[in-house]
Amino acid sequence: MITVYKKKTLPKNLELIKLNDIYFNKFTVSLLDERAAKIIKTIDHSEMLSQFTISSRFDGTALNIDRLSTGCKTTLNILYNPDKVFDIRECGDNALDVIYALPQGNVYCDYPLISFGMDKVSVPDRNGTHEIDSYEELKAWWEDED
Amino acid sequence: MKIKPVVFDRLQTTHTSYEVDFAIDENVTFIIGDSGTGKSAVFSFLEEMAAESKNIVCFNYLDQQKRYKTTIKQSKDKLFIIDNADILLDDATRWYIATDARNQYILIGRNPTGLMLNQEDIRELASTTENGKTRFYLKHAF
Repeated sequence: MITVYKKKTLPKNLELIKLNDIYFNKFTVSLLDERAAKIIKTIDHSEMLSQFTISSRFDGTALNIDRLSTGCKTTLNILYNPDKVFDIRECGDNALDVIYALPQGNVYCDYPLISFGMDKVSVPDRNGTHEIDSYEELKAWWEDED
Repeated sequence: MKIKPVVFDRLQTTHTSYEVDFAIDENVTFIIGDSGTGKSAVFSFLEEMAAESKNIVCFNYLDQQKRYKTTIKQSKDKLFIIDNADILLDDATRWYIATDARNQYILIGRNPTGLMLNQEDIRELASTTENGKTRFYLKHAF
């Protein structure tokens, strides 16, 4: 289950990463394992040929893995770096669907950005965290400025 | 604000087996879509086009520390193509773009808030592949 952060709820000990492309290219790429292949296939419809190579969804040519979409890179950043928080504002709906189903990770956005297929997430509150298991409740939490 | 395109009403370019053919109806074109549909790839093809045209200027996340907002405000008769628009464009810049009749914009992102666009103004990147060639074009998102 992922943890969702909004404005004013981000703990000072958690680093927020906004430029997901750069973070992926510099750090996450070295952490990839077989879990990445399934995510790359689901979001970008590409095959992971090696740790640093994917196939183009359009013509099958081999590409450097830096050509993954920002949404796919963001999803992989979240999965492989549970000690960081990642801004999800550039993710398409297909990437959001995968992010909200991840077993772990931390996400941030200034405004509600929710997968319609969400099951359950953790959100911070005054007493620590609590779980939310409905789209409407999570949207209301996000829009509540208190 | 509805303004007809002031620089280009069509963008066409080729990059190896990829063709871009954008028919443009509005001065501000906002392109959304799922991750992995080729938006940033198309941006890179249009960057190549910009190398040959003094009227096209491209920005993406790599320009975040540069004076792109000042460049926009000091320009005339330019088509600005901006990828990662959700990161690069703050509220004030969105307002400027929405009311700017001297330049034209193609914005790639997810959140069109502040640009005074209606749902019917939002475009989605689409593609077809035939005989080894992939053609990218724009369609209505909603």
